[in-house]
Amino acid sequence: MAVTVRIPTPLRRLTQNQPEVDVEGDTIESLIENLEANYPGIKERICDESGNIRRFVNIYLNDEDIRFLDGNATAVKDGDEISVIPAIAGGSSDDETN
Amino acid sequence: MMKQTKVLELQSETLDQIYTHAMVEFPDECCGIILSDGAREFVRECRNIQNERHAEDPDTYPRDARTAYLIDPNDLIRVHKEAETQNRPIKAFYHSHPNHDAYFSEKDKADAMAWDEPVYPGAAYIVVSVYDREVKTVKAFAWSEANTDFVEVHIYAKPHV
Repeated sequence: MAVTVRIPTPLRRLTQNQPEVDVEGDTIESLIENLEANYPGIKERICDESGNIRRFVNIYLNDEDIRFLDGNATAVKDGDEISVIPAIAGGSSDDETN
Repeated sequence: MMKQTKVLELQSETLDQIYTHAMVEFPDECCGIILSDGAREFVRECRNIQNERHAEDPDTYPRDARTAYLIDPNDLIRVHKEAETQNRPIKAFYHSHPNHDAYFSEKDKADAMAWDEPVYPGAAYIVVSVYDREVKTVKAFAWSEANTDFVEVHIYAKPHV
């Protein structure tokens, strides 16, 4: 099964500047493994050392945040669209850390 | 050699909308996204979910919404879809600094980067300073390839139509 994965601008140098790529897989986790096989280096950017999606990375199945589905185990099917979009955040004073 | 300062042209109505949003959300930070189809600008107010994240996990999110913002991921995908399907690319992001000046903080900068690169190298980041529900100043920043850093860009407000 192939699903389309939309790649954020900073990661496109790993995908030969392709804004979207087709990848095989039946869950988010297997998609990421197959992305890594095709585009080495992409997994460590999306996932932390324990394999969890990094806090600042949002992954959407169609328009749904996978945090509200089954996370990494979310099932995907042919024709689905996955979007990887870094969070938009910030804050004022520099005297605190976050 | 002096580098020419880049200019961010915005419609005055756009600035009016983000000022109102900043004043309404005070003392919390407001946040949103400005889309443009080249002729028109579209202000998309987003929900700041920093308070929720802070309440759930204060160790990971030590700040609350008075000094931080995090755009609701559902708003982010909605605006991304609109940008794509309506051909209205993201022109700028905005947020407010309640009771702080309009500067691009270390946190603003760090959060605008991912994997050591700017996430939206073509978009501007607008920061509105609000004291006591009054807008004090507004500044904008954008990635400069020459400086490999975010630099201030001059805001030019086009006259009201």
